[in-house]
Amino acid sequence: MSNLLTGAIPKIVRVVPRNRNIEALLLLFAVGLNAFELAQIQLSLLEVLNADFFLYWLPPAVLAFVIHVILRNRASEADPMILPIALVLNGLGLSMIYRLDLGSIANGGTELFGMKQVIWTVIAMAFAAAVIIYVPSHLFLRRYVYVSMFIGIALLLAPSLPLIGRSINGARLWIGIGPFTFQPGELAKIALTVFFAGYLVTRRESLALTGRKVLGLRIPRARELGPILVIWAASLLVLVLQRDLGTSLLYFGLFIVLVYVATGRSIYVIVGMTMFITGALVASRIMDYVSGRFDSWLNPFDSKNYDAVGGSYQLAQGIFGLAHGNLLGTGLGGGIPHLVPLAESDFIIASLGEELGLVGMFAILGLYLLFVARGLRIGFIHPDDFSKLLATGLSFVIALQCFIVIGGVTRVVPLTGLTTPLLAAGGSSLLANWIIVGVLLRVSDSIGAGEKVIGGGR
Amino acid sequence: MSELALFIVRTGFLAVLWIFIFSIISVIRADLFGQKVVSKVASANAPQVVSAPVAPSAPGSLVMEPTGSNATKLSIIEGDRTGHNIALDRRELTIGRAEDSDLIVDDEFASTHHAKLVLINNDWLIQDLNSTNGTFLDGARVGTPAVVKLNTPVRVGKTVFELRA
Repeated sequence: MSNLLTGAIPKIVRVVPRNRNIEALLLLFAVGLNAFELAQIQLSLLEVLNADFFLYWLPPAVLAFVIHVILRNRASEADPMILPIALVLNGLGLSMIYRLDLGSIANGGTELFGMKQVIWTVIAMAFAAAVIIYVPSHLFLRRYVYVSMFIGIALLLAPSLPLIGRSINGARLWIGIGPFTFQPGELAKIALTVFFAGYLVTRRESLALTGRKVLGLRIPRARELGPILVIWAASLLVLVLQRDLGTSLLYFGLFIVLVYVATGRSIYVIVGMTMFITGALVASRIMDYVSGRFDSWLNPFDSKNYDAVGGSYQLAQGIFGLAHGNLLGTGLGGGIPHLVPLAESDFIIASLGEELGLVGMFAILGLYLLFVARGLRIGFIHPDDFSKLLATGLSFVIALQCFIVIGGVTRVVPLTGLTTPLLAAGGSSLLANWIIVGVLLRVSDSIGAGEKVIGGGR
Repeated sequence: MSELALFIVRTGFLAVLWIFIFSIISVIRADLFGQKVVSKVASANAPQVVSAPVAPSAPGSLVMEPTGSNATKLSIIEGDRTGHNIALDRRELTIGRAEDSDLIVDDEFASTHHAKLVLINNDWLIQDLNSTNGTFLDGARVGTPAVVKLNTPVRVGKTVFELRA
């Protein structure tokens, strides 16, 4: 930001205001937005404001300002927009989950998620703060490239193990000890991004420059395609063992994009996408689960799919909900989003779409867009190659996850069981995404203070 | 709550949500706008700004001497890193594909240790380090080390840079 320029140019213009002051203003705005949501919900459903308001409003707000103060001391040049955007998204999700709880209490339901979500939000934001404090520089994570590979693979495969692995709704993505369940795949995406970034920094030369030219396209050597084959096989293994198309697409897509960013060669994207589509098509022929998902996606209103167990009932209900929301929505607390199964986790975007309408849905997508754009910008202007890949990978993984989940709910792609980042109920997902927020903040602080002398004017 | 009040609250919330988004966008815009002003000042070397009292390098930049002595930065004008500047705050600056180069040129036409800039007797000299594809100063291939004057294009691979005051 502004400090980059002062080396080369006299300190005449400090047009850009200080990052942290902008952040404080945006945070106040975000906290106000969250209060508005909760007040609207309580007024329309309970017709009175009660003490629960503070229970859901204060903890995230306080922690956001704690992180803000930590940033002032430890990473004062960090990006000013990431934290407020994350807080608004988390607050929106939390309010909607609270709203669904109130709805299910009114209907005699007993399974509540709101309080759990508050606790996980606090834990997750504490982890983000810890990342900022205990990761001293953007190069720190580079020391743990191979350790993260093992952690990533272990987390990815843990749900497939007997004893601790758990299947919920057909997908084997959880581990459980007693009543406590956890989705390790969410954390695996961070570990694997660190590994991919570290691996590709050392191998980018050979991936980028070797190979013969055929018809104007440089075809990589077989040796360079090896790692891609390994990752491809691993992601298909995830598809087969854990029965989840979304997870396997997420990791493979992440890898392909990082290879593309590291080498700048589109051939890898073409080869990678062809391989994944081929693999998925073959799987859809062989595995009932995948072909069922495809059929529900293409014909959700077919009574055969609608009535089937694990069929398209949920998807169709979600679409009815979105249609009920219309352009401006029913207002928070005005709709009937609890009719959709898993309205608080997988289908939270349909619940929000129903109550905030198309206008609100686009606002949420706009928030994600800004979040991802900030992350990609960090990757774009960071002088250090490892940090470039890390920031790009972490923000891309959020973008891809949004695309897979929201695309699944709105029938752009087949529906899969991933969570909407920062919105959906679920501790592991919140934890992973807040850690990503922490890492992005830490990396963005070092843009001006990189080891390389190249400090961009942009 | 009455129907009308509900409608106002409902649309009001959406409006506030969008105002939040637009305030973020306006910060980003101010960011870009602010930096644009700065880079214009830098490239035009506008005297009225340079002579501002806070400007440390003001006197030197006012007089355009043909030697490289008062060059303060290297500006990349063509190639992957177009628009980047490197401060010339040392006596030597290496250029090449190697990770430890001061200016990393990332293309197939550059050698690992391609060339270097050296400050000798207040002149910046460019020296080609036996690179495969050569270094070009103002279009001519550099044989023996040559003096780089201000605002003269130097080409290494696909990257072209100039020294600027």
